[in-house]
Amino acid sequence: MNQVQTTVASEYSSEINKIPIEHRFNPYSDNGGTVLGIAGKDFAVLAGDTRQSEGYSIQSRYEKKIHNVGDNILMTANGFAADGVELIDQFKQQLKWYKFDNQNQKLKIGSAARYIQHLLYNKRFFPFYVHTLIAGLDDDGKGAIYSYDPVGSYEREQCRAGGAAASLIMPFLDNQVNFKNQMIPGTNENKTIEFLELDEVIKLVRDAFTSAGERHIYVGDGLEILIVTKEGVRTEYYPLKRD
Amino acid sequence: MNHDPYYWGRPSDEVYGQYNYNIANAKNVEQHNQNNSNFPKMNTQQPIITGTSVISSKFKNGIIIAADNVGSYGSLMRFNNIERLIKVGSQTIVGISGDISDLQYIQRILDELEIQQEVYDNDGGDFLIAPNVHEYLSRVMYNRRSNMNPLWNSIIVAGFDSEKKPFLRYVDLLGVTYHASTIATGFGSHLAIPLLRNLIPENKDYINVNEEQAKKVIEDSMRVLFYRDARSGEVYSYAVIRLNEETGKIEFEFNKKTKVEDQKWRFAKDIRGYGSTQH
Amino acid sequence: MKSTNIYLTSIGTGYDLSNSVFSPDGRNFQVEYAMKAVENGGTSIGIKCKDGIVLACEKIINSKLLVPGKNKRIQTVDRHLGVVYSGLLPDGRHFVNRCREESQSFKSIFKIPIPVPNLLDRIGLYVQNYTCYNSVRPFGIVGIIGGIDDNGSHLYMVEPSGSFWGYSGAATGKGRQIAKSELEKLKFDDLNIKDAIKQAARIISLAHEDNKDKDYELEISWCSKEFTNGKHEFIPIELLEEAKKFAEEDEGDEDEDEEEGEGEGEGEGEDTEMN
Repeated sequence: MNQVQTTVASEYSSEINKIPIEHRFNPYSDNGGTVLGIAGKDFAVLAGDTRQSEGYSIQSRYEKKIHNVGDNILMTANGFAADGVELIDQFKQQLKWYKFDNQNQKLKIGSAARYIQHLLYNKRFFPFYVHTLIAGLDDDGKGAIYSYDPVGSYEREQCRAGGAAASLIMPFLDNQVNFKNQMIPGTNENKTIEFLELDEVIKLVRDAFTSAGERHIYVGDGLEILIVTKEGVRTEYYPLKRD
Repeated sequence: MNHDPYYWGRPSDEVYGQYNYNIANAKNVEQHNQNNSNFPKMNTQQPIITGTSVISSKFKNGIIIAADNVGSYGSLMRFNNIERLIKVGSQTIVGISGDISDLQYIQRILDELEIQQEVYDNDGGDFLIAPNVHEYLSRVMYNRRSNMNPLWNSIIVAGFDSEKKPFLRYVDLLGVTYHASTIATGFGSHLAIPLLRNLIPENKDYINVNEEQAKKVIEDSMRVLFYRDARSGEVYSYAVIRLNEETGKIEFEFNKKTKVEDQKWRFAKDIRGYGSTQH
Repeated sequence: MKSTNIYLTSIGTGYDLSNSVFSPDGRNFQVEYAMKAVENGGTSIGIKCKDGIVLACEKIINSKLLVPGKNKRIQTVDRHLGVVYSGLLPDGRHFVNRCREESQSFKSIFKIPIPVPNLLDRIGLYVQNYTCYNSVRPFGIVGIIGGIDDNGSHLYMVEPSGSFWGYSGAATGKGRQIAKSELEKLKFDDLNIKDAIKQAARIISLAHEDNKDKDYELEISWCSKEFTNGKHEFIPIELLEEAKKFAEEDEGDEDEDEEEGEGEGEGEGEDTEMN
């Protein structure tokens, strides 16, 4: 195997050695946490736990992760916390400029979604290490969730879980929101998709997070749910296990 | 035209091509543009002289923060006179652990920040408060990590916010930030946080804790750290920033050369093994 | 007047159009014209006494709509350094910015606050640069820089030419002649800083006599080991009021002296400035 040879300085400044460089600095870390978005008929929710961790340490039991960025848009970027904060800050800043440049026009959720793709894709060679979700209402007033991978590939979905416990929650959501693998009893047909009501969605979200909290060390402490309707944004908080 | 006086009188690049800096042996000019160095550009890959934990806690009407005075060179106690708590403005303390040369750089940029914000033409404007200082530092830290040239530190910013409520927030070499009622860096996050969270289980609970209680737990934590963190020292500094509820004024107390008290070493005489020569 | 003649002879010869070109008799007219801009500016003075320095200026109020007590003319360069200037205000702002850059650069390299003479070396060089190239014009200000360092208090005045001199009492701007002759009467060796403040207020008020149709606001700052812990600050409002009162009371008795002083000063001033 060929090792990369690079020139570095030795203690004697005139002497040059060819030795492999060890790059110890890793600009990323994983701050855990998990997030989840579900779109309803005339609402959308974005939920996340409030724990922030680093390794086996809990840094904070309450650090805000779901942000109301304005214009009835909710946003979260879960994964490496510093990148998450930066992405959301950049978007908030650009939203301000958008409104300033366009007679205070409201930013549509579809435009916000595309714009965030650009923010992520422009940094694809040094990506924001986050799973991004936004939630809002579309032009018809229907709930909308958009989800992204770290380099900006995105898609509108009915529901999506992201972050540490995504793999635990997503199958549950497939089953409970999109009725995957649910048959109509006595027939051979799949159950048809129908919109859930808000109270049902809240129940699902709480169940998803209490279950994830049981099984995943990076999930716990608190659950914050932000709900967007045509009336605006409201927040609910439920404690989770702190172990 | 380039209005920097150092460029005045130079033939223009468009007409005469790039300026030849070797004229008159002017090698020191514009070295940053020349890039004729024999070495690749190198950035920090590891800290050299380091400071260990900083620990801090909110209490009802204020905040307390402590850090010892040791500067370690690997496992060598290289210095014992390093002040790692930096006062910024009139009511903020920045506690820094990690690389000491980066600490000194941060100290310098914070002094420049203070001069720019508080000395220049502050025509009855706002003064620096802790959230400002934290935001500034977190931008610096995140930008440096994004250029793969980090400042190798974990930092705690302690003070008051604009509503005169205690403010405590962390930022590190990756630009990761968080808030909590008790924060500790390094070994402190393992050894001191359990003691501090015992006093303040939930973030909001700090309002039930008074200064004496917080101070005692900080003292206990410093003792535990001295016992068990091999890179810690016996002498430390601590600062208390409190809101005097009667006068509405913010009081600042900076204590240096505090010693770890109430150490108990009686168990030492019973130690067997581990290289002990006792039988 | 002598000066008028000097200028008349130069106009139209072309030597007054550019920096970087001397006239046949060895003068840089742009620099001298810059001095003219200063001569129309509001009066600024500086006093050095044994325990500190005082800066003061007559801030002409061009509009009643300006907020009283704001739009400060005296500026702080570093904790221990203050600047006041007369002439083109934007030039002054740029001048102060450069002073600040130099001070921060010095401190970042050497850890200690910049000693006052050191700052003047640097800033003098910078101002001089603006007299050497035809694409720029000289600074339209005279700056008075005062401060305290380890060697005690210092007071300097920088001219558009880039030359700077240390003073015990410095004055520039419209009322400089009166101010200078008043400053000359002060006993700097035993003047304490609180008296210097009163004198500054009195001198600014006297220097304003010729310009009575315009309103002005008095700005005074100080830098003292004893009272400001070595920091450059505006004086507290009580001291300012006290100084103003002192100046008012004094105004009546000073009338005669003042006229004398003015005559004397005028002659002297022309000589030095047109040399």
